[in-house]
Amino acid sequence: MTTLKIYADRVSQPARAVILFCRLNGIEFEEVEIDIFKGVHLSPEYKEINPMEQVPAIVHGEFKLFESHAILIYLASAFPGIADHWYPADLFKRAKTHSLLDWHHNNLRRGAMGYLLHLKLAPLFGVPLNPQAAAECRRILEASLWRIDSFWLQGTGNFLLGNDRPSIADLSLVSEIMQLQMLEEDDRNQIVGPFKKVQQWIEDVKNATQPHFDDIHAVLFEAIAKMKEQQANSSVPGS
Amino acid sequence: MTLKIYADRMSQPSRAVILFCRLNKIDFEEIRIDISKREHLSPEYQEINPMRKVPAIVDGRFKLFESHAILIYLATAFPGVADHWYPADVSKRSKIHSVLDWHHSNLRHGSMKYILHTVLAPALGVTPNPQVAVEAKKILDSSLSEIDTIWLKGSGKFLLGSYQPSIADLSLVCEIMQLEILDDEDRRRILAPYERVQKWIEATKNSTMPHFDDVHVILFKAKARLRTRQESRRIGSDVRTSYHSKM
Repeated sequence: MTTLKIYADRVSQPARAVILFCRLNGIEFEEVEIDIFKGVHLSPEYKEINPMEQVPAIVHGEFKLFESHAILIYLASAFPGIADHWYPADLFKRAKTHSLLDWHHNNLRRGAMGYLLHLKLAPLFGVPLNPQAAAECRRILEASLWRIDSFWLQGTGNFLLGNDRPSIADLSLVSEIMQLQMLEEDDRNQIVGPFKKVQQWIEDVKNATQPHFDDIHAVLFEAIAKMKEQQANSSVPGS
Repeated sequence: MTLKIYADRMSQPSRAVILFCRLNKIDFEEIRIDISKREHLSPEYQEINPMRKVPAIVDGRFKLFESHAILIYLATAFPGVADHWYPADVSKRSKIHSVLDWHHSNLRHGSMKYILHTVLAPALGVTPNPQVAVEAKKILDSSLSEIDTIWLKGSGKFLLGSYQPSIADLSLVCEIMQLEILDDEDRRRILAPYERVQKWIEATKNSTMPHFDDVHVILFKAKARLRTRQESRRIGSDVRTSYHSKM
């Protein structure tokens, strides 16, 4: 039997979504760590796996695939016994799932990732901070959270698209929002605070996916703690 | 009840959806939503698509937006659509998802922002930002390079090395056609390094005629109008310059 290989860095939001999906569905895999902060994704070896030099990517036998939404859909379709709610067979429900996953790229993902990059993370990638770009991305982030709160969470169920059970879209978008843990608490509360439905939904997704949710996010929290420590040390006089 | 497509043919994803329907003889009623007249911002259109973008479809009571989701829905919901547009094979299908996903933040993002901040801004009431244009051009260039070297790898002429076009070819070529709005020399320079890309554009056009040209008529009309405006502004500024030099 061919083991699935997942090339991931758990600091990456889409990588976490893919790992979480596999754990929840009992899909066996070998996780190959690709450390982004050490630039491993830029190595010639990794380029053979994913020429776009990003995580996550998968290799399943001879088949290679990148882009987390494509991977989630592939896994939901190619592996047996995956419950329908993850990626519904019904054409209409499926189409709405695609619509949301597509919307995500230039909305929540662009806003959240851009805000963190331009506000905090850019120097780690050898790029200067950019307060103007950060402000623009924050605007997109807030608008996206508003859209989730007022549109994507409409309906009777607790999950996106008003579903009663989570789908791959919930995994993708909540993983993205978890990255905001990198922000100062005040900032994060200011951003997410106005959106009660969003906050409830995040809790519902966590509850529906424990203990794997916490387990997979441990690396993110460790990375955040390390960042805070480094910041504290660099502000100590004489150090 | 006939499928309704809400579209502006100046919009790249709108064109891809219309083209797909024409090629597959899917009956539809096209409702024009003129972006330049801000019709996408009307309360009526918000009922159709709360994101206020085109395209959107209404099929009976079912509403849908995001062009890739629409293309996939049409390919699977309507009978008689040939497999090459959106293959049933899970692996082939996944590769198509992969390129469609990549497209959002790459070709689409780069091309759209570059065109907006160089040429289209005045027509849409936006202040052009040269810094954004520079960043966007980088993304456009690297996207074209990635199409040339990665997405067009393989023995066929189409994306993913296929022998026949898929919905991904329609989406990405319609995006690239928007570069026609640019100054001819600029467009030529942008595409010149990428021979495989140029061949692929031709192959996609040829395999989708006459519908391809038909769907792009409005784009070429807009290009002609833009040239005329640019030319009269240039003549106007020449006249003002020579007037001032005589003062």
